[in-house]
Amino acid sequence: MRGPSRALGAAAAVLALGFTAACGDSGGVGGAEAAKQDKATAGETVTLNYWTWFPPEATLKEAISAFEKANPNIKINLREFDSADYQKQLPLALNGGQSLDLVGVQISAMTNTVREQLRPVADWQDELPAGWRSDLNTTMVTQTEKAAKDGKLYSVPLGSIGSSVMLSNAAMLKELGIPFPKTADELKAAVDKIKKEKPGVTPVVFTGEPWWQEEMLFTIAGQTSPSLSDDILAGRKKWNDPALVKALTDYKSLFDKGIISKSVLSLKGTRPAEQFTSGKAAFLVDGSWQSSMLSAAYRKANKIGLTDVGASAFPVVESGGSPAARGYAEGGLAIPKTSKHVAEAAKFVSFMAVGAGVDVWSKDLVLVPAKNGFKPDESVLTSQAARDGYAAVAAVVAGAGSARNSNQSFLNQVEGNAILDVLRGQSTPQAAADKMQKEWASRRYDTQ
Amino acid sequence: MSAYPTTARREATAPRPAAHPEPSTAHQVGRRRRTRRALLAAAVFLSPLAVFYGIYYLYAFGFLADMSTKQTSLSFTDVTDVGLENFRLVLTDPAFHTALLNNLIFAAVSIVAALTIGFFLAVSLASGVRFRRLFYAVFLLPSLIPLSLFATVFGRMLETDDGAVNTALRSMGLGSLTQDWLGSTGPAYTALFVLLVYLVGLPVMYYTSDLSTLNTSVLEAAMIDGAKAGQMYRLILFPMLRGTHRTVILSVLLGSFRAFDVVYFSSNGQPGGRTQITGTYLYNTMMGSGRVGYASAAAVIVLVIAIAVSAVQILLERRSK
Repeated sequence: MRGPSRALGAAAAVLALGFTAACGDSGGVGGAEAAKQDKATAGETVTLNYWTWFPPEATLKEAISAFEKANPNIKINLREFDSADYQKQLPLALNGGQSLDLVGVQISAMTNTVREQLRPVADWQDELPAGWRSDLNTTMVTQTEKAAKDGKLYSVPLGSIGSSVMLSNAAMLKELGIPFPKTADELKAAVDKIKKEKPGVTPVVFTGEPWWQEEMLFTIAGQTSPSLSDDILAGRKKWNDPALVKALTDYKSLFDKGIISKSVLSLKGTRPAEQFTSGKAAFLVDGSWQSSMLSAAYRKANKIGLTDVGASAFPVVESGGSPAARGYAEGGLAIPKTSKHVAEAAKFVSFMAVGAGVDVWSKDLVLVPAKNGFKPDESVLTSQAARDGYAAVAAVVAGAGSARNSNQSFLNQVEGNAILDVLRGQSTPQAAADKMQKEWASRRYDTQ
Repeated sequence: MSAYPTTARREATAPRPAAHPEPSTAHQVGRRRRTRRALLAAAVFLSPLAVFYGIYYLYAFGFLADMSTKQTSLSFTDVTDVGLENFRLVLTDPAFHTALLNNLIFAAVSIVAALTIGFFLAVSLASGVRFRRLFYAVFLLPSLIPLSLFATVFGRMLETDDGAVNTALRSMGLGSLTQDWLGSTGPAYTALFVLLVYLVGLPVMYYTSDLSTLNTSVLEAAMIDGAKAGQMYRLILFPMLRGTHRTVILSVLLGSFRAFDVVYFSSNGQPGGRTQITGTYLYNTMMGSGRVGYASAAAVIVLVIAIAVSAVQILLERRSK
């Protein structure tokens, strides 16, 4: 019995060693030191490994193809991810020392998770065209810098996104003689007419998921208190601040007045967009990233049957308020420390941020480009409703009073549910706000 | 010391015949050799699995335990030691209490469904009803396809305006029964209970498998004695499948701690997080920067509770034998 016992004992010891090693070492691995550069010889082709989640693959491939045509000695090996998946995959890959030359960074959500594995832009900006910074929207660059805890710029923002905005079935509104509503009262009139004339159509749709409720709440709050979101998330104001309680009350009033049906709150995922694109909903409240639907070419390519789509800021609920949204720089392009081809990678960053690439990827209208003086291709926005809509969305995102920022755990566990409880009549605005403040103060949702 | 050896000592010190060893001793030696060989073979065959287990489970558990006392992000480069603070925060979180309670409620519902509906279906189908293959497919399919897909479809069916459930109720003239299924607590629990009950496929498989090994002479004797169907189910088959019940209970109980996809893709904890379970709690608390430590602490607590529940279950079973 001794022989086998010893063998099994040794195996157990090896496992225990692994266990102990796991307990003993919690430090990160890889990526701490910047890789030495491989200088390409004349005529040699350099391949850049590029990971991202944005823009949509078809558009990105078109942009890459244009870049490779202009730079025949550089090839790009692209891997594109789903947005949520990318937030987890990239930090793990960079931390594991994966050799990447270019990475997309979700500026708000990911900068601090990956910044230690990235080269600060200051280290490679000499490879960018002179004056690159003045070619970009200052607010977006500053937001990208502020997103990092150490205040350094780690990625070059391609543009910005914002929410909430409202897309509309322009053809349906035209048919019913409804003007684009700018206030809650005008929206109420539009909804009443749609209910009467188009009984099978849900007037207003959006996702009922908890995370979206924050977007709605701070859009309404921002109409009268533009910096409320920034103030609360930075700890300058409390979650039960009177302005927030008022915003909760205003949001609830949209349901009480019959402008929005409670049944909308049962919609999840892509269902609201499906309803809108299939003509079963007249208005879709979503983020500026849905502006793609303003493009007739996009609608045709994605088999969306709507003949004309418009957009606007979300109607002002409180009299005296102004159109508002929260916005933030997005689509950062960064060069990891593991890259051995920084000069070539910087060329691609330049192409996408301030060069000819902007005209290629911007056709999707997912981001409002950071490049100063950008004007959308006329072939993309073919109707007056679309042109006006894009201008309205770009203006409200550019003028955002607060950053589109969240404490995601708090949002998923507390905030979203508290707002939904108010909308469903299961809690009062004040009680929900007090609950949010109590949980916020518990330190349970502290981030680093 | 006695001048004469005791019987035992005599036996111990008695010279052994060299050429013809005692049959019992030879048998013991042979058995020892066989055992040793068997253990060696077992060690050889088990070692790949042990290495796999070591890497993927023990290391992961160790890492999890270590992270539970830290505050860090997924980059694991900015680690702050917070001691047991993460555990204190998790254990005092009302949302965690709700999630844990829901785990137990859903486990109880699943167990009751398995021991009643699952048992009844398995016995009925095994008795040779018509179209039984079709019925097997109907009841087993939800357990065989990915639960995320199944739960997503189910969640879609619960939409208030266009969901299949409310549409069906309206078309049957039962419009008054339509609900905002995930908008209030009672209907949301009801919907999830229905979903869990529909997942009785696995218990049905367990019962079906063990039914085929039963000694049918007992049933024949009962039939000759005039036992009715209900009596045979209740007084003969149910007790005879006691071992299967234990397997079913344990698997369903532990399965309730891994029911993330069922809840996440159907109710996603709605309304207001009140149908959340520990799996969805862990997922939600993991989101965001610097949340790895907190989520790890919650995971460790859930793991300890799951092990404790299993241990209690096993002890109770042993005691009842």
